[in-house]
Amino acid sequence: MVRVRRNVIVASGGVLLLAAGYGLAACGGDGGDASDTTAATTLATTPPLETTTGTTTLVTPSVETTTTLATTTTLEQEELTEIRIVVVNGQPKGGIVRKTLRRGDPVVLVVESDVADEVHIHGYDISKDVEVGGTARISFRATVPGRFEVELEGRGVQIADLTVLP
Amino acid sequence: MSLLAHGIGGVRDLPVPETFFFTTAAIVLVVSFVLLGALWRRPLLESHSGGRLLPSALSAFVLSWALRLVLQAISVGLLGLTLATALFGTTIELLNFAPTFVYVIFWLGIPLLSVTLGNVWSALSPWRAIADATVWVLERGGNEARPVLEWSGRWGRYPAAGALFAFVALELAHPRPAFPRTVGIAIALYSYWALAGMAVYGRDAWTRCGEGFAVAFGLLARIAPFAVRDERVVVRWPFTGLGGAEHVRGTLVFISVMLGSTSFDGFARTSTWQNLVGDVRADFAGSSVRVADLATTLVNVAGLTAFVAGVVMTYLAAVWSARALVRVERSLVSDFVLPLVPIAAAYLVAHYFSLFVIQGQFIFTLISDPFGKDWDLFGTADFAPNLAIVSPEIVWYVQVAALVVGHVAGLAIAHDRAVALFDDRRAALRSQYPMLALMVLYTVGGLWLLSQG
Repeated sequence: MVRVRRNVIVASGGVLLLAAGYGLAACGGDGGDASDTTAATTLATTPPLETTTGTTTLVTPSVETTTTLATTTTLEQEELTEIRIVVVNGQPKGGIVRKTLRRGDPVVLVVESDVADEVHIHGYDISKDVEVGGTARISFRATVPGRFEVELEGRGVQIADLTVLP
Repeated sequence: MSLLAHGIGGVRDLPVPETFFFTTAAIVLVVSFVLLGALWRRPLLESHSGGRLLPSALSAFVLSWALRLVLQAISVGLLGLTLATALFGTTIELLNFAPTFVYVIFWLGIPLLSVTLGNVWSALSPWRAIADATVWVLERGGNEARPVLEWSGRWGRYPAAGALFAFVALELAHPRPAFPRTVGIAIALYSYWALAGMAVYGRDAWTRCGEGFAVAFGLLARIAPFAVRDERVVVRWPFTGLGGAEHVRGTLVFISVMLGSTSFDGFARTSTWQNLVGDVRADFAGSSVRVADLATTLVNVAGLTAFVAGVVMTYLAAVWSARALVRVERSLVSDFVLPLVPIAAAYLVAHYFSLFVIQGQFIFTLISDPFGKDWDLFGTADFAPNLAIVSPEIVWYVQVAALVVGHVAGLAIAHDRAVALFDDRRAALRSQYPMLALMVLYTVGGLWLLSQG
């Protein structure tokens, strides 16, 4: 009886190992090729974005990012992803705008608003004021993977949901 | 600030990929059935929870009044600083010390310490420290410090469950949970609740049953490999502190608030719920912001309540089926409630690990400039947090590992209780089928929430 039970444990242990191994392999394949992994390690050791120094950026970040984008010549040749959000009555027209990006994509977020507020991209911590009937343009590079909410900060209304794939 | 954030942040983990989801779900199922047959036949946990004594010098240091005094002084100082920054500091959430300290360092850090080191909150609670100091002063003055009323125990842990629910409702249902003034008022209210309760019912009774954080951290600490017995520190196998039944009333509801709130946090950030809240706000677009805020808060509170109620109901359904299968007369509700503690801990890790390591770094800048007035007290105001410190892959592995470990621990603890309760091994096994279904439901459900975009 004891021996039978032990065999069951050994056998099921094997099954588990197989399952785990399959999982690892499958996920590794899913995560992309080797160059992706290198990119990930480089990113982890270097500061990801000039503007993510936390405290100071929240006040005057977008100017910095815009100039960085404008002066870098290589960037202009890349395809710029434009995300356009129209705010009516303080709400995003057509619901929360969802966009999936690849890491490193240069992005410009254009918010046309009929209310005055502050547009804030969480995580990247970039914010920019928008006036009544005005348009806020925020350019940045999507260097950090994850899911990030974009909000009208004063109202606490989410207007976009950005997914940056690794 | 952020709509539907975990109190602070507005950043979410990338959804766990399908391969992770299916592999982990498969592991969970296989492990469950193997454990069911292979686990021990006699109860082990309670008899091992005594553990071994640590060397007496080390034990004496850890439990010394001097160390306790230092920790309590720091803790009261931090409470004062948090309250002051919340009420008088900048109103920009991420530049104010209080929101990050409360929602990240305190609410995620103390559970982590409790699970690894034991019940640290008994020495770290600022409210307990203030109560201890008050008693000391009263007794020095020749007075007797006595509670006003006797704690009857009739309410069990329901007051603590209510207090914790109030906190998670602020964190998850309020439109701007991290707004510093809101945090300040919440701290003041909670301090009143904790201190008044201790004054009326006594420090120990209120810590056991009324102070929500003390109860939560105390339950999580029973996972830890360290505990205090007879004024000595013991080291023991992790999870052994969760053996036996838990007869204090309200424990099920309390643990359900822990589990339900974390899972609601996950669900609240799925596009389903985000769109629902967006629609509600759109309906109130013509009204003032306050009305729209009130409407979203109510919707969120309803969602939160539904999740907590869902945990209670599924648990009750499982123990009732177990009772029917084994044909016992008495209720089994208090017998299988502790196995939910590791699952609650696993949910915490799975949902908040990345928030803790990413948002937690901001505490270094904030401590140098707690009021957001461009100070640089410790020279760390310009510290640049590494937002890419953990890759999405690492986050996924931590999430699924936490869920699997919590699941296995929960099953083993439930099994241990079953073999302690029923002499007949077949009866013990039968009682575990519903429990197993329940645990699989919680684990795969938690995993599903993590995989939702």
